[in-house]
Order: sequence, then structure tokens, then C-alpha cells
Amino acid sequence: MHSFHELILLLVVLSDFWVLGTTRLSSTIRATAIQGVLLAALPIALYLHPSVHLIGLALGTFLVKAVVLPYFLTRAIREAAVRREIEPLIGFTASLMLGAAAVALSFAIAPRLELGSIPSAMLVPVALATVIIGLIVLTTRNKALTQVVGYLILENGIYIFGLTQAERVPFLVELGVLLDVFAGVFIMGIVVFHINRAFDSLDSALLTELKD
Amino acid sequence: MILFAVGLGLVLLAGALGWALARHPSAADRVFMWGAIAGCGVALVPAISALAGLTDASAGADVAASATGGLAFGIDALSAWFLVVVLGAGAGIVAFGVPYLGSDSRQRRVRVAHLLLSVLLAALAGVVTARSIVAFLACWEVMALAAYFLVIFDYEKREVWGAGMVYLVLTHVSTLALIGMFAACAPGGVGSRFEDLRQAAAAGWVPTGLVLTLALIGFGIKAGAVPFHFWLPGAHAAAPSHVSALLSGIMLKVGIYGLLRMLALLGAPPVWWGWVVLFIGLASSVLGVLWALGQHDLKRLLAYHSVENIGIILLGVGLGALGVAYHQPAVAWLGVTGALLHALNHALFKSLLFLGAGSVARETGTREIDRLGGLARRMPRTALAFLIGSIAIVGLPPLNGFVSEWVIFRALLGTGSAGGSLRVAAAMAVGLALTGGLALACFSKLYGVVFLGRERDASLERAGTADAALAAPQVFLAACCVAIAVAPWFVISAAARTARIVVPDVSAVPVGGAPLAGASWLTALSVALLAVVLALMGARRLALRGRARRSSPTWNCAYPATTARMQYTASSYADPLLVGFGALSGVRKVRAAGSVHTEPMELVLDRLARPFWNRLLRAAARLRPLQSGGMRWYVVYAILCLLGLLLYLRFVALS
Amino acid sequence: MLRAILGLFAILLVAPIVPGIANRVKSALTGRRGAPVLQLYADLWKLWRKGVVYSPTTSIVFRLGPAVLAATTVLATCLLPLDGATSLVGFTGDLVAFAGLLALGRFMLVLAALDTGSSFEGMGASREVTIAAFAEPALILCFTVLAMATGRLQLQDMLGPPLAQAWLAAAPSLLLGAASLFVLSLAEACRVPVDDPLTHLELTMIHEVMVLDHSGPDLALVLYAGALKMTLFGSLIVRVLVASVAVPAPVALVLLLGGLALYGALVGTVESGMARLRMNRVPQILVAASAIAGFGLILLLK
Repeated sequence: MHSFHELILLLVVLSDFWVLGTTRLSSTIRATAIQGVLLAALPIALYLHPSVHLIGLALGTFLVKAVVLPYFLTRAIREAAVRREIEPLIGFTASLMLGAAAVALSFAIAPRLELGSIPSAMLVPVALATVIIGLIVLTTRNKALTQVVGYLILENGIYIFGLTQAERVPFLVELGVLLDVFAGVFIMGIVVFHINRAFDSLDSALLTELKD
Repeated sequence: MILFAVGLGLVLLAGALGWALARHPSAADRVFMWGAIAGCGVALVPAISALAGLTDASAGADVAASATGGLAFGIDALSAWFLVVVLGAGAGIVAFGVPYLGSDSRQRRVRVAHLLLSVLLAALAGVVTARSIVAFLACWEVMALAAYFLVIFDYEKREVWGAGMVYLVLTHVSTLALIGMFAACAPGGVGSRFEDLRQAAAAGWVPTGLVLTLALIGFGIKAGAVPFHFWLPGAHAAAPSHVSALLSGIMLKVGIYGLLRMLALLGAPPVWWGWVVLFIGLASSVLGVLWALGQHDLKRLLAYHSVENIGIILLGVGLGALGVAYHQPAVAWLGVTGALLHALNHALFKSLLFLGAGSVARETGTREIDRLGGLARRMPRTALAFLIGSIAIVGLPPLNGFVSEWVIFRALLGTGSAGGSLRVAAAMAVGLALTGGLALACFSKLYGVVFLGRERDASLERAGTADAALAAPQVFLAACCVAIAVAPWFVISAAARTARIVVPDVSAVPVGGAPLAGASWLTALSVALLAVVLALMGARRLALRGRARRSSPTWNCAYPATTARMQYTASSYADPLLVGFGALSGVRKVRAAGSVHTEPMELVLDRLARPFWNRLLRAAARLRPLQSGGMRWYVVYAILCLLGLLLYLRFVALS
Repeated sequence: MLRAILGLFAILLVAPIVPGIANRVKSALTGRRGAPVLQLYADLWKLWRKGVVYSPTTSIVFRLGPAVLAATTVLATCLLPLDGATSLVGFTGDLVAFAGLLALGRFMLVLAALDTGSSFEGMGASREVTIAAFAEPALILCFTVLAMATGRLQLQDMLGPPLAQAWLAAAPSLLLGAASLFVLSLAEACRVPVDDPLTHLELTMIHEVMVLDHSGPDLALVLYAGALKMTLFGSLIVRVLVASVAVPAPVALVLLLGGLALYGALVGTVESGMARLRMNRVPQILVAASAIAGFGLILLLK
């Protein structure tokens, strides 16, 4: 290990694959929580001289991504009384292979993108891979809750990307965290308004009326 | 410039007060009418002084200018000329519109209409004085939208709504073309001034052909040139009569202003563009009057005549462009002068005719020509003003229509003595003569059927409207026409000096070829005509002294029991001509048992525009399956776009 | 100037003879004796001294129509260089004024016809304006040929001395223009094959049916204006042809008068040899006249 942050980024990618491969919803939530912990540790690992601002950011990220959101998601599972993900659109094995392709693609594209000076060379490819995997989960899963998890993974990828620009645009990352809060409210909505009961299922394949 | 701003401010204030004082409608009407007329007058003062004080060298310079931020306005000769058109005819239209709408029962709507009218006038004045792109486009959009809301005044009727929709779509296509045009020629982007455009063009950085083509499309749609005219008849017929007068008389001229302004800014146009404008002018003039012949609706007929007159103006503009491109200053000078003159004259007599049509519609409750007749007895002042307007629009001497057509004819025939391929343009004089002949047929039909003879439909209402209030603005406009006819040299010299903006170098033009040459003879001709007519009438009266003067019903070949319905109708009057032109005249004959009637079609709209639109809709419908409604597919589209962009970056852009 | 006035008065005086000559020649060629050559003078004198009948349907337009028609035709005559050199009134572009004045006269006459509220006059007016719509372009086309051949825009020059020079360079075009003008004059003067002046069936008339309700001095003005218009077009043709020989001014006037007599005879000959065309063929003959002049124009443009 050249440095701590590369280990963290590697673990992030592994947690993405865990989400892609598992069928149990509680597993996906656990993976999200672990991602949250990892991402909270990332800025501290990158900038070895942490300022107060950076510590506050790490704390806030930890709270939102690793504590609050998984809690809401678990409550949503309990309310909706679902246990497993039914067979997704492209199958679990195919999802895993698509995820691997995404990682390969990200590592191929990333060196050509000129982004100025960034703290670590692995940030950009991992960010891209996480974004793409999040999108894959979002589009191919049937249950609304899994789609929310995919959205959260997407956001994590953006967060990682934001860390590359954190020096120049310090508030960018905070805004990313705010986006997580928004996602939390959304999940609360599922819980509070019992989408499950209103539509008799959380199956978003039935949401086909988005056209005129 | 302050006077100008004060004048426009007064117009807007009058409109706002007219809208706000809704509880006292008669007071609000008076405030609006006199306020707006006063505002127009005040704003006209700098324009007229600019035209009167023109010297030959200062034609291109701004007499007054002001600029704040991105908005710059200025009055030079060209702006001043079109300001006279806008505000002069506009004052007459306001004076008619207030009593015209005053008897309407939907008072809230009338209040808003007055406000919109003042906004429209201010926007029109803004368009012709704008000196920066932002100012021009902003005023252009305000003008287009204010006009739209005025057009759909009677929005409960389906045909009004449909006509408004066609107008709205086309005016935005024209705005789009204008944005493209400015994008192509503005060196500093959207914040440029017109001065920057002129310098960029002089330095050769502007693709003149592309810019002028977009200008032709954008301004051509607004001016109503064939083949972009098909919004005109519907919109002008659907709007209330004073708004139709404003649309036909003033708003079409703004398109002409735009073309002349672009010609002035860009300098030498390409040769092919001049020929295109010339052909469009010729087609518009002949087809416009031909299609007018077949119309049954009074206002649609007048609207098609506007197309014809815009065609004549475009002939002048085309000759101006060709003259500049071929280095024939005489032709160019005469052409642009004729175009400017005809713009002013048309604003005067077309407004006059539309106001007359409004009076007729108000008095009888119908616009159908074949049901009218004998109105000269009931509305003598309107009939007299309409007669003067008719003689003027046909281009008969001695009135002002003849003056401008005389200048344009001289430009056309003058190309004959120029060398090279420009001489072919002389053959276009035939087209102009053909439109004159057809216009004579059309207006003799219109005037004869509507005002002369006997009433064809006795069941029509007789509103007995106060002819005086509605007739006063018409008489004013008719007096303007006669004034220009009797003393044309003022107007011709002002127009000639304004035309120098487009044709700067006229040193090579001989004295006999200048626009003003021979203008004094026109006055002599008018006076001589009047003198000889009076002499003959006097001789006739002398001859009839002591002789029998009997009254007897019309001869009718000794058939005594003729009814008013047996008079020639307008449709039958125009039938031989329409049959002579065949399918081009766009009139369908429907034969039923015991009756025949003709239906005029709008050829371009029905044969070209609507089929094209339907085909476009069908092709777009084939893309429908993409909009599947499933949320995940929309996200997949987003992912595909993102991946595509990334791959493009990787392999194409950054390699 | 004096010569121009003299020429004007000569033409104004001589105008009623030209239709008389045409009618007399036509009658002679068809084996009849025909009316005297000076018949129209007698008719005008008789009508001028008669009373007048007006229909209550008519308005001031009806009373103005004949006066305006006559006035415009007289003023149009002033624009021509009748003595071959100068016209009484001349300015650049006055050929447009010539066409415009004739059109104004026609416009007021047509309005007077519609003023009577009779279907016959309406029919006549409708046919008149149909023919006029095709005749105007033909006239302007002939003028265009003259303008391009001489390089001038003033009738005084187009029919004057510069025309003599133009004959040397552009004789074929000018001949074609003269031929076109001849066909046009048959239409404008309401002669066979466009309109038969001798018919008494209203449904076959064009010009006569339009003036059915005029009487007394009004009718005299209308008839005189018709004769003057025929003379005008004859003068145009004669001037175009005579200008090929350069002659001093007074001789030119005499030649004009002689030429008018020949023109009248030619019209009579053509009338005797042809029948009236069907109504919907009349525009075609005018388009043919335009085509002839157009061909002359094309020859000039090469």
C-alpha cells in the first residue's frame, strides 16, 4: 500500500460490487453504511494536515452517510416488509460483469481527462466507476428501495469526484453532503406515505405513466 | 432625444391611465386618445426636424442618440422616416380605435386593448430607433407579442384563435431567423452596437450572403412577402379594424426597415441577393393582388393587397441592392427612394382603407362584400375617404400611390440603359403594370359593389353609427394622401436624402436621373387635371341650362322589375379574370343544385405549409416509442449520453 | 411651344374623324355605303344639345365619370410629341403618367357603370377591367421596348428625334413594337376583334354596355373620349413608324395626320376581314400582343 487513501478507494470499489451482487436488501444497506464510513475517512487520509473544516466535513459525512441514511432505509424495509430483491432486469451475474466493465472503462478514460492537480491519481477512476455502478443499480433493479441505494452510490461517486476539486471549491463537497440529506428526506417519504400501500407494491416497473 | 423619450413615455402613460381608470370608461377613453395622440406628436418632432434638416452628407449620422448599458437608441434619417410612418399613421389609428371600441360591451377587454395599443406603438418606435442588438430584439419581441394579444381580441371565435396561432408561430420563426442573423454578423456577440456591425462589415469579417439571406427570411416573414405571407390574411382579418390598420400599415413596414438597415450596415450586397429580392417582390405583387381578387371578406381582400404593396416596395429594395451591386447609383437611388416613398404612402392609404372597412363592418354588421351595396348614401364621408384611398392604392394619378410607383417604374426602366445583365430587370416593368391592371379591377370591384349601386341584402342591420367620429381620422389620412399628391417634392426630396444611407455615392447620377427630377410636373399634372375636370363639368352645366333634366329608373334594357339582388356581385365581377389565371388564383367553384359559389383558398397555407407541417408531425410521431414512460429507460438515456461524451472526450477531443 | 399647342388642337379637332374613316372603309369593303366620315361630329353636336336623364340610384360618381374620362384622355394627349419634337408636357418617366391617366379615366368610367346598379353595366365593367388588366402590361411592354431602344424615359424623346437614331440600330424590335401597339389599339378602341361597335345585343358588348345609362352631354364626352383614345394609339403607332425618316417638325405633324387617316383605313380593313373573338379569347390575343413586344425586347437585350 502506497498510502492509506488508496486502500480506502479500493474498499469503496469492493463495496460497490457487493451491492451489485447481493440479493438481500439489508446487505445493500449495510454496504452503503460501510461506504459512508470509508468516505468519511477519505478526506482525512488525503490531506494529512487536517484543518478544523476538514474534520467537521468528515464528521458530517459519517453522520449522514453511515448513520442517518442507513437507519432510515432500515426503517423503510421494516415498514414495507420486504426481504429480498427479485430477479433484476439483467440478472445478478450480468450485473457483476457490467460492473467490472465499468471499472475497466473508468480506468481507461481517467488518465486522459485533464483536471489539473489532484491529490491522488486513483480518485477520478474510482469516482467514475462508482457513478456508473450507481447508475446501473438505479436502472436495473426493480424495488424502489434498491433504486434509492443505487442513487446513494451515485452520490458517493460524485462526492469522491468533488474531493478532487475540494481545494479550489471548498463548499462543493458540503453541497454533496446536502444532496445526501435530500435523499434522506426522499426515503422518509417512502416511509411516511407508505408508497407500498398506496400502490400495492414498491415495484417501480409499474410507474409507466411518465409520458403523454 | 429627450423629446422622443418624453413622447413615448406620454403614449405609455396614456395607455396605462386608459387601463387603470376602468370605472370611468368615457373619461379613460378621452385620456387615452388625446394622451396617445399628443405623445405621438411630441415624439414626431425630433423625427421631422431630422428629416427637414438633412444635408446630403449627414444622412447616415444619428441626429440624436442615447445609450444605457446594452440598450442604445438613435434617430438618423432612416429611423426618422419610419418614425413618421409609425407615429403619424399611429395617431390616426388611435383616433379611430377609441370611438370604434367605445361602443363595445366588453369594457374590461377594451381597457386592456388600449394599454396594449400604446405598448405596441412604443415598441414599434423602439424597433426603428434601436442601435444595439439587445434593444432591437427586445423591442421586436414586445412588438410581436403585443400585436398577438391585440389580434386575438375576439378570442371566442375559432377562426380568430386559429389565425392568431399561425401568426404567433410565424413571428417566432422570424425572430429565430433574426437571432441567427445577428449571431452571424455581430463581432462582439449579443452586446454589440450597430456601429460595431458596420465596422466589422467594412473590414470584411462578415459573411454577407448568409446574413442577408437570414435577414430576408426574418424580415420577409414580418413584411409578408410571398411565400412567407400566409399568416397575413388570417391575422389581419381577425383583428379589430384599427389593429388591422396598424398591422397592415405599420408593422409590415418594420420588416422593410430591417432590410434597409441591414443593407446600410453591410454595404455592398451580393448580386444574387438583389435578384432574389426582385423576384420575391414581383411574385408578391402579382400573386397578392390576384389572390385579393377572389376574396369575399372585405378585410381579407385588403390584407392580400398589403402583400401586393409589400411586393412593390421589395421591388424597390431589390433594385436598390442590384444598383449598389452593379455600381449603378442612379438605379439604386431611384429604387430605394421609391421603396421609402411607397412605404409611407402605403401606410397612409392602407390604414385609411382598413378604417373605412371598420366603419362599414360597424354600420352593417358584416364583412361580406356580396351582401353590401349602396353605402355611399348612408356614410358619405367614409365613402369619399375610401374613394381617395382606392384611387391612391391602385396607383392612379394624381394621388400619392402614383408618385411612388412612378419612381419605382423609373428605376425599373432605368436599368435598361445600364449595361450588363442588369438590363434584364427592365422586363419586370411588365409585372408591375400587370399588378396595376389587376389592382384596378380589384378596387373598382370593391368600391363599386360596397359603396355604389343598391343594397344587395335588405336584411342587414342599420346601426346608424355616428359617422362623424369614425370618419374624422379617415378624412385626415385622405387629406395626407392628397397633400402628398399636390406637393410631392417635399416628400420625394426627404426620401431621396434618406435613401443616401443605402446608396452613399450618387455623384455619378445625372440631374435628370435624380429622384426629384420632374416632381414639380406632377403637381402641374394634378392641378391641370382638376382644372380640366372642373372646366368640363362647368361646360356641361352650361350646356344643360334650360334643358330637360329627368329622373328615371336605371335603363336595364327596358326591363323594369329588376331587384337589387340582380346587380353584378363582386364574385361575378372578378370571375373572368380569375378564370383567366386558372389554378394560380386559388379559387374553388362549388356547384350545388341551383347555386354556384366560389371559395377562395390560401394557396401557400393549404398546399404547402399545412402538408409540410403534417408530414413533420408524422415523422416526429415515429420517434414516439422512445418516450416509453418507464423511468429506468430515461435514466439509461442519461447514462448513454454520459458514456458517449466520455468516450468522445477520450478518443476524439483530447487525443 | 406654340407648335406643341397647335399640334394638340389639331389632334383634338381631328379625333372624331378617325373612327369615321374606319367605319367608312369597313362598310366599303363589305359592300355597303356606310355612314359619312364626319358622322361622329354630328352625333356629338346632337348629344351636346340634348337634355339628360339620371337614375335615382346614381350618385356624384356617375356625373363625374365622363368628365374625368375626357379630361384624362386630353391630358394624355398633351404628353405626346405630336409634331415629332416637343410635347406640351414632358418630364422623365411621363410614360407612366400616360398609362396612369388612361387608367384613371377607365377607373372612373367603371365606377360610374357600377353606380347605376344595373347588371348589364356590371357585366360591361367586369369585361372592361379584365381586358384592361391584360392591356396594361402590353402597353408598358411596348413603352419598355421604346425606352430601351432610345435609352430615354420621356415620351418626348422616346417618340422624337432619338427614335430616328434608334431605328438604325434596332429596327426589328421597333417593328415588332409597332405591331404589338396595333393589336393593343384594337382593344383600347373597342374595335373588332375585341369588341364590335356595330352590335346591338347588350350581352355581346363590352364598352357600349358600360355606358348605357349615360345621356346628353355625358354621352357626348364618353364618345369623344373613345374617339380620342383611338386617335392617341394611332398617333403612337404612326410616330413610331414615321420617326424612321428624319423630317422637320411641321412636316412631321402633316405626316401624323396623314398617318392617322391610313391607320383608320387599316383598322377598317382589319375589321372587315375578321369576326369578333369569343370573350375568353380576348385575353389571349392581348397576351399574344405582349409576346410580340416581348420578343422585340429580347432582341434588344442581346
